[in-house]
Amino acid sequence: MSQSVTLKKEAPVVKVRNKRRVSVGKIAVFAFFGVLLVTQLYPLIWLLIYSLKTNEEILSGSFFSLPAVWQWSNYSAAIESGNYWKYLYNSGFVTIVTMVSIILLASLTAFAITRFRWKYGQVVMLIFLLGMMIPMQATLLPLMLIFKNIDILNTHLSLILPYIAFQTPIAVFILSGFMRTIPTEIEESAIVDGAGVFRIFGSIVLPVSIPPVMTVCILAFINIWNEYIMAATFISSEKLKTLPFGVYSFVSQYSVNYGAIGAFLVLGALPVVLIYFLLAEKITKGMVAGAVKG
Amino acid sequence: MKFLNRKMLLSAMAGVLAVSLAACGSSGNNKNDTSSPAASPNASESPKASQSGGSNEKVTITFQNIYPDPTDPKYNMLRKIVAQYEADHPNVKIELDSLNTDQQKLKLKTQAASKEVPDITIVNPAAQMKPFVDADLFAPLNEMVEKNGLKGTFQEGILDYYSFDGNLYALPDGNNIALIYYNKKMFEEAGAKVPTTFEELVDTVKQLKSKGMTPIAIGEKDSWTGSFLFMNVLLRTNGGPGFLQDVLDGKKTFEDPAFVEAVDAFQNLVQAGAFQEGATSFDYNAGENLFKTGKAAMYFMGSWATGGIETSTVGENGEVGVFKFPTVGGKGNPDEFMLAPGSAFAVSKNSKHLEETLDFLNYFMLNYPKEAFAVKGAVGVAQNIDEDFKAAGYSDMAMEVLGMFKDVKGGDLAFDNTMNPGTAQVHLSSIQNLFVAKKDSAEVGKEHQKGYEENKE
Amino acid sequence: MKVLKVSGWTIAAFVLPCLFLYVCLVFAPIIVSVYNGMLDWNGIGQSKFVGLANFEKMFTNDSLFWPAVGRTFLLAGFSMLIQLPVALFVAILISRFVRRTGFLVSSYFLPVILSVAVIGQLWKTIYNPAPMGGMINQILINLGLDSWTHSWLTEPKIAIYAIIVVALWQYLGYHILIQFTGIQNIPADIYEAAKIDGASGFKADRYITLPLIVPIFKISVVLSFIGSLQSFDLIMVMTGGGPANATNVLASYMYNMSFLSMKYGYGSAIASFLVVVCLAATVVINLLFNRLDKRFS
Repeated sequence: MSQSVTLKKEAPVVKVRNKRRVSVGKIAVFAFFGVLLVTQLYPLIWLLIYSLKTNEEILSGSFFSLPAVWQWSNYSAAIESGNYWKYLYNSGFVTIVTMVSIILLASLTAFAITRFRWKYGQVVMLIFLLGMMIPMQATLLPLMLIFKNIDILNTHLSLILPYIAFQTPIAVFILSGFMRTIPTEIEESAIVDGAGVFRIFGSIVLPVSIPPVMTVCILAFINIWNEYIMAATFISSEKLKTLPFGVYSFVSQYSVNYGAIGAFLVLGALPVVLIYFLLAEKITKGMVAGAVKG
Repeated sequence: MKFLNRKMLLSAMAGVLAVSLAACGSSGNNKNDTSSPAASPNASESPKASQSGGSNEKVTITFQNIYPDPTDPKYNMLRKIVAQYEADHPNVKIELDSLNTDQQKLKLKTQAASKEVPDITIVNPAAQMKPFVDADLFAPLNEMVEKNGLKGTFQEGILDYYSFDGNLYALPDGNNIALIYYNKKMFEEAGAKVPTTFEELVDTVKQLKSKGMTPIAIGEKDSWTGSFLFMNVLLRTNGGPGFLQDVLDGKKTFEDPAFVEAVDAFQNLVQAGAFQEGATSFDYNAGENLFKTGKAAMYFMGSWATGGIETSTVGENGEVGVFKFPTVGGKGNPDEFMLAPGSAFAVSKNSKHLEETLDFLNYFMLNYPKEAFAVKGAVGVAQNIDEDFKAAGYSDMAMEVLGMFKDVKGGDLAFDNTMNPGTAQVHLSSIQNLFVAKKDSAEVGKEHQKGYEENKE
Repeated sequence: MKVLKVSGWTIAAFVLPCLFLYVCLVFAPIIVSVYNGMLDWNGIGQSKFVGLANFEKMFTNDSLFWPAVGRTFLLAGFSMLIQLPVALFVAILISRFVRRTGFLVSSYFLPVILSVAVIGQLWKTIYNPAPMGGMINQILINLGLDSWTHSWLTEPKIAIYAIIVVALWQYLGYHILIQFTGIQNIPADIYEAAKIDGASGFKADRYITLPLIVPIFKISVVLSFIGSLQSFDLIMVMTGGGPANATNVLASYMYNMSFLSMKYGYGSAIASFLVVVCLAATVVINLLFNRLDKRFS
């Protein structure tokens, strides 16, 4: 796997290197990278094999064994009975709306907290920090009551709203941490140019903040994509359910179809992994770009 | 804070939120508006439909259930009956909310807290459904079961587990007993005989163990499995049913010799190496699968497992036999069983379409036994079935189980169906602990008694 | 010094939408939770106000509560003292030695994306007893170390550590990514300047990378602490808190109390305790890092 990592000695940022240490040290370092890579990639390979086994092969639990017959039918079961496409669409919709909202709302707030001269900035920050570590399960009952009263139970809104609300504290925390480091000269010159607050935010601060925004995106995404407890509690209609339902739809009272779960998990992770790997370069590049200004 | 009613607080909060949502129109809000009215027919129809059940009105009934697995025969059975009903009643749509068991329990509890119970939901019998009944969430079914002779289809006495103060609140899908399945081939290989006493069972375990076999499979991560077995031991050492009821009535305590003896006997079994290594990390299915794949020689479970075992590897080879739980220390009667009245369908009292919902459930339950029989899921159904099981292709093992039902002379319910949830949790984790550590059995009794007293209402 | 002095309306436009949603859906439920913590309530039927009785019982007369607190902090401790330094070390190595970093960093991140259901199932097969195909035990036996084998997830003293290992492994990539981002954000010219002054290689890391990574490292610390307090899914999937509560942490204990024992009031009291711990932790972490910041600058 180390072929994919070019062994050129020029790194983009740190150009300083002790050449004599390179030979031995480098081999050790890359061996280390390799080992780590195997342990971190293994689950995906394991899952692929798992998804092609029969129930009994899976539960008999041989760790390294391959399936006797490759059970492609697990995939058709997952797609057909698991309502894969519908759930994928719903998950995608909920996730995208949530992420866009989080970025917009949290960056506005972070901007106000860090760049405006007003008394209550720190108080607002503190209120947000308070909610950062609340486990979702603790709020299920109160949320149910609220949603019942505003009549949005069993709509996507009943997922999107709490997802946004629960991700904002950490988003505000990270974004304001970053925005605090942007030099004030930027605004000063912008004000001289006659730019309004919204323009300063929209065309100066926000573009510069792409790296932390990316971080926020990733954090929010992994928290939302696999979320099940709220989804199962607030959504009842088949046509509104999200991907985790598919996974758990194979778990019933007295029988479990593990192979199909595996297939569904692969299918559920697939779009994510694809998007992630495609964007990975852009994400890191975006981060480096941000660094120049920082 | 005292004067601030929780509900007031919340509805105030909700009101403000609703206003702000309408006003702020964030991106999430806008996009969703287009899809939500169509997506939640419940919400949009509710005002007018609540007045009368006129037959031309469009009606949606939400049916929360625990059959989400397409490979489970019940999954198709459920959909078949629903489709038939919808064909006969074009104005009615049955919306199935299929969840796995744990999630359904959590969802129902959350919904119950805000009085938002779905039209039809699933509950467990006796003590487990009592909190919901106490909170007045379910509609009585007394009149409904009289229609079309539905009541007569149920077995004698089974509906009592779902009745409180003379009102019936749920209709069960099953009525099961506990028994031991065993693998004839493995017994033969080890030269073991079917045990007739608990002491022989312990010897059989040792014998199987010495041949390198796993004697008994169990899925003790789901801690009710071990409790179910333990309670059967207690049913014997107590010389008959009713121990927990006696505790509830204040006639006995958990420090009673019968209880301590049961703990001792149970520990003997564990210490003899009866269960697979790491049993407490196996969930129900993983445990059962050890038996189904011929990796364990015995399996203690409710008769509902029959169908699954029948179609498994060992079942298809005709290697499975069954026997009754034996006497312990010469006490008890093998014809007294752990009884497991099944999960049951209850109707929300606040249902917006109560009439239609009751009508559907009536239809559903009338068709249930016939359809269950057809998918070979009729062993342990709560209703009478006058069909020829043998001719329909049910296996010898299934026939044996059916025969056992005829011998039943009473028994006990599971611990969590008798005691309140708080006490049940103390009990479950105390028994689970016996799988990983040897305890002084008098201590286990004390622990139970303490838990019971703390959770007494 | 902040330069933007704007009207109240502008501030409101920036802050209120977000604050409002948050206050209604997170903050208010917390307050409600604290109030619920003073009830004797099964979550369904009638409730009774009992004041601080739940809290009193929790602190003084609950043999399961403090061990659960201990395990929560054990997890947090391992995460902060082992996982984060390792992640930082790896991040530094990657930024020094690897040119095309995208693939490597993304791959390390992979376990985070996968559902806990997958992770739990995978590690169960790793931890299983040897006859069930457990990888660790099979390897130990092949090495002739039979006496080292354990039933990892079911021995009460070991099980929690077995779970901690999984948590550390799963989120390693998460923290590598964060720290790596931080390192990438350090301007290259600082290193150039340091090189002229004769500081390069690990010396440069000591005097440039470490001090400048502090703010990002703080994010990592906070995230790992949150993760530890909320750790719930993994424990439910792997052991359900068992055997006999030996792997219960605060979040799983709260869940079991609220929804299995149906003591919703008591569960809410535990949730309130979590909130207080969170507050305290936020303050402590901030103080710690302020001091650290000062020391470096």
